[in-house]
Amino acid sequence: MLAELRADTLAPETVYQAFATSLRRLVTGFGIALVIGIPLGLLMGLFKRVESFLHDFVVVGLAMPSLVWALIAAMWFGFVERSSIITVVLASVTFVIINVAEGVRAVPKDLLDMSRAYGTSDFHRVRHVVLPSLMPFLFASLRYGLANGWKGLVLAEIYASTSGAGWTIRFWYDARRAQGVIGYALFFMIFALFAERLVFRKLSDRVFRWRPSTDSQPPPEAEGSVQVSI
Amino acid sequence: MASIKVQNLRKEFVTSDSTVVALENASFEASGHVFVSVVGPSGCGKSTLLNILSGIETPTSGIAEITENGKKARNGYVFQAARLLPWRTVMDNLLFVQQDRDAKTRERCQRYLEMVDLGHTANQYPGQLSGGMQQRVGIARAFSIEPDVLLMDEPFSHLDAITGRSLRKELHNIWQETKKTVLFVTHDVGEAVELSNRMVIFGKGGRLREDLKIDLSFPRDPSDDAVALTKANVLRKFEELDLVAS
Repeated sequence: MLAELRADTLAPETVYQAFATSLRRLVTGFGIALVIGIPLGLLMGLFKRVESFLHDFVVVGLAMPSLVWALIAAMWFGFVERSSIITVVLASVTFVIINVAEGVRAVPKDLLDMSRAYGTSDFHRVRHVVLPSLMPFLFASLRYGLANGWKGLVLAEIYASTSGAGWTIRFWYDARRAQGVIGYALFFMIFALFAERLVFRKLSDRVFRWRPSTDSQPPPEAEGSVQVSI
Repeated sequence: MASIKVQNLRKEFVTSDSTVVALENASFEASGHVFVSVVGPSGCGKSTLLNILSGIETPTSGIAEITENGKKARNGYVFQAARLLPWRTVMDNLLFVQQDRDAKTRERCQRYLEMVDLGHTANQYPGQLSGGMQQRVGIARAFSIEPDVLLMDEPFSHLDAITGRSLRKELHNIWQETKKTVLFVTHDVGEAVELSNRMVIFGKGGRLREDLKIDLSFPRDPSDDAVALTKANVLRKFEELDLVAS
């Protein structure tokens, strides 16, 4: 592991290169998932008909193991950047959709009535009432969508890629080097903790600074948000 | 001068299997420096009346309007719960309902916060305040837009007796100072007698049953003989009208 950190490795990619490649794919894929998922989630939360139409697709999407997405993407698109990214999108987009939809339903009606009674503009109402009450749900989708997207990505790299962290694990596996595989598993842990401590917690402290309890770590996920992971 | 006009107002709520009539043929008018209480048992359409007047709901038929010299009036609304935006500071909550957000407006908001003794909380979040303080912020918000008419929907019913009492006193003083028209919904006859100079009584099915004047001098202490007697008389009226659940 220490040798890896010094970028002294037998594998074709150093740990830094491997993680940089994977991270780029993760961010691209999840970005696409947000762009697709947020509007669909909004529509699903607002309109009963969209809800009944999309509901089954979302449930199926949530239940589908990321491995299946990875294999399908590998078979359809082959060993290209696209298959990894598409796997991330498929593995994370349903989390975004369902959490945003729940969030829209959870917008407090009494606050909407209040702003209507005071005659505030639609823009103001969306900006200051709807969006802030969506935030906990967006956070939940960010956290669980990213986690699931990451799992999908590693699998996709194992089966349908020639670079990245998943692929390097495969390399060590093929070389029958257990320390390489275990070392990468440890890197994953470090990476997950780093993301949690430095990114999520900082971000949630900032976004939810209005919450009264600042003593212990405030759970940023909203009640009723969907956090299944398979 | 602001005036409230309600004429042959009817409101029904249609659900898939039934129609509920919340207000039926209600008519009354009020204008100027008056404090009108709307009293009645729960489910008599009191809150619906305020929601229609404030534009949250639309009437099924009839007229409900609030005007200021012929134009549409600006209303302040105090709800049963404070209904503050938890993610904005107290000052930002007041600014949220303003038309302008300039320095002068900010100053005015601060003045109304100080009126309810909460000037020091301007930069705090509602979650850091007690229920009574939040309710006072709600009252300051309603006054801060300098409304023509103030609508209040059981604003003190969630509070403990002592907090409620001091807020009633405060509200009375502000009303005397600002000379607004107030429409105050409550199910508490004592509160209505203490605060208002006119009382509109609604019965089951949203029918207006009685329109009473309360000619007592202010300030009124609930333990005062005349106030207690008036309260007893109003309660007797309730029994005559058969509004008391047996």
